[in-house]
Amino acid sequence: MASNEDGSIGSSLHGVTAREQVFSFSVEDGPSSQAIRSDDPTAKFAIPVDSEHRAKVFKPLSFAKPHMRAFHLGWISFFTCFISTFAAAPLVPVIRDNLDLTKTDIGNAGVASVSGAIFSRLAMGAVCDLLGARYGTAFSLMLSAPAVFSMSFVSDAVSYLAVRFMIGFCLATFVSCQYWTSVMFTGKIIGLVNGCAGGWGDMGGGVTQLLMPMVYHVIKLTGATPFTAWRFAFFIPGFLQIIMGILVLTLGQDLPDGNLSTLQKSGQVSKDKFSKVFWFAVKNYRTWILFVLYGFSMGVELTINNVISGYFYDRFHLTLHTAGIIAASFGMANFFARPFGGYASDVAARLFGMRGRLWTLWILQTVGALFCIWLGRASSLPIAILAMMLFSIGTQAACGALFGVAPFVSRRSLGLISGLTGAGGNFGSGVTQLLFFSSSRFSTAEGLSLMGVMAVVCTFPVAFIHFPQWGSMFLRPSQHEERSKEEHYYGGEWTKEEKSLGLHEGSIKFAENSRSERGRKAMLADIPSPETGTPAHV
Amino acid sequence: MAIHKILFASLLICLLIQSSHGATKERLFSDLEKSALEVTATPSRVGEGVVLAAGIDKLSITWKVSSTATKEPEFKAIKVKLCYAPASQVDRPWRKTENELFKDKSCPHKISSWSYDPAVKTAQSFDYTLERDIPTGTYFVRAYAVDAKDHEVAFGQSTNEDKTTNLFSVQAISGRHKSLDIASVCFSVFSVLALLVFFVNEKRKAKIEQSK
Repeated sequence: MASNEDGSIGSSLHGVTAREQVFSFSVEDGPSSQAIRSDDPTAKFAIPVDSEHRAKVFKPLSFAKPHMRAFHLGWISFFTCFISTFAAAPLVPVIRDNLDLTKTDIGNAGVASVSGAIFSRLAMGAVCDLLGARYGTAFSLMLSAPAVFSMSFVSDAVSYLAVRFMIGFCLATFVSCQYWTSVMFTGKIIGLVNGCAGGWGDMGGGVTQLLMPMVYHVIKLTGATPFTAWRFAFFIPGFLQIIMGILVLTLGQDLPDGNLSTLQKSGQVSKDKFSKVFWFAVKNYRTWILFVLYGFSMGVELTINNVISGYFYDRFHLTLHTAGIIAASFGMANFFARPFGGYASDVAARLFGMRGRLWTLWILQTVGALFCIWLGRASSLPIAILAMMLFSIGTQAACGALFGVAPFVSRRSLGLISGLTGAGGNFGSGVTQLLFFSSSRFSTAEGLSLMGVMAVVCTFPVAFIHFPQWGSMFLRPSQHEERSKEEHYYGGEWTKEEKSLGLHEGSIKFAENSRSERGRKAMLADIPSPETGTPAHV
Repeated sequence: MAIHKILFASLLICLLIQSSHGATKERLFSDLEKSALEVTATPSRVGEGVVLAAGIDKLSITWKVSSTATKEPEFKAIKVKLCYAPASQVDRPWRKTENELFKDKSCPHKISSWSYDPAVKTAQSFDYTLERDIPTGTYFVRAYAVDAKDHEVAFGQSTNEDKTTNLFSVQAISGRHKSLDIASVCFSVFSVLALLVFFVNEKRKAKIEQSK
């Protein structure tokens, strides 16, 4: 191995190469390993860190460099992109008059707004690997800002669709945000951190329903006609994107020890082969089940962000303003609903292991979908709002719970699976909008109920997710000697040659730490009997 | 959490206010007296395939109470509105014609309102310049006669019952502005340039660091 200068900034390329021992959970077990050398760089961090300089503590109110700052820059960037992507939705009643749109045009534009991200989310993982999370985020923000500004040029259905498609690319910030937090925070708390970052970012879809009508109203007060005012209103999300992009580049840092480009690349820096990572992600059937599942939790959420404001405006004869407030409440529930889902998943895992996580996911997603059916059938405003709130909590918690399962599907291809799952969310949204909200075949109310039914049906596949070492919703873990071990599952992603080079050691460490997914009963059974536990000397 | 509770509470308050408007929901269009008013609408430019420009062209509207009107004593005011012809309602459920007056969305654009003077029996006429927020579409003009409670009791329209005659087309303003276009281009260019500047700068700094 090439020599690393001790403590020099940038010599530790944590998580970038596959060769180093990347411990996904903290190496320090307790008081015994507190030896901090006087020249240890960990002493300079404001927050306690593990041996990889990843934060061990999550302090949401702090902006300390580099960990908490990265968290805040990451989720706010993601939040800003959500604002831009769904900025058109609350203004559709004005836009449809300006551009003479039909329901089909509006529906197709909605599909387009979420489709671009399918590809950009897949590509973002690679971009972050090559350029670092900062540039991944900044690229997404600052290269899609022109698309946001170009709403001022839109004059018909086709240009409207094209612009919404291009704006939608910026949803790739989901991946860069999760990537950034994954390199900054240690494995034990990453579930909560990612749940908060994901949930608070998703809130942007709710805030935009309030922000855009308000901005539009203010611009109209200055004397602009409605058909000019809405175009100008898009400048606000555009500005926000540019500002966030600059903040990310100036205040942010790729890795705990520095920026990617200033790190000294020592010796052979071989990243894991993309083709291998891709193959193991694609070959694993669980990836695709999660792809479908996320398509009907996050996908449904994205669809609702596009249609719900117009639904309340048209069906219940509300003003743009009031419809915006109601629609915003849906997205704002993300603030606590998604982290709650992640937390519920963690609690279920503590008690029942992976089986608990899968049941939690199924229950939350199905309950959310049932309330969606109710929402479509509600004919009075108070009932509709109640149904919508319960639906939002269920579905958003399901999103959080899903990312409690995803990290365990693969260790080698974790990043790509996150990307694929995220793309699945957008894919599901495109499908539901195309099927139920793009033609006059169903009224919007019928579309909502049918979407709920489809979501219930498409949540059943979670019963097929089976881990040999932990079982599934209905089946017990494998009784086979070898296959019942976590090491076998995660080691199976590496070939013999790779194992002989020691490339799989990170996965083995992860496997050891993931034994907590066996649940409480199995953990208690695992405690060694007193004879073997007694030390050799008395 | 607290913000969420406040939001929910404010929603409930809004709902209560909205639902208190419920008393007038059941009045039907089919109950109104048809052709109680004779309405004509003449565009400032006529001809085959002529499309009026919003914000520029005018309509010359006249209305007169028909001699056959039975509910005439109840009339307190006349409200003149611009309504969508069936061609402009296709695949646009937000412009749908509904029998319940509360739900009907086919006549959203108010032209003007006149208080009714029973002593004046002659036709009233006025000019109306098409507003700049009128969308592109095919239209006709309808006048509602309302009573003291502001409930519609009768109406008349410039077209026939099937809404096929005397329709006129309007082209909306684009809403685009040269200044907006220029500002848009400027900010877009700034965004891309700023990114490039940062990127190139950092690469340069990294090269300098490495060569040290």
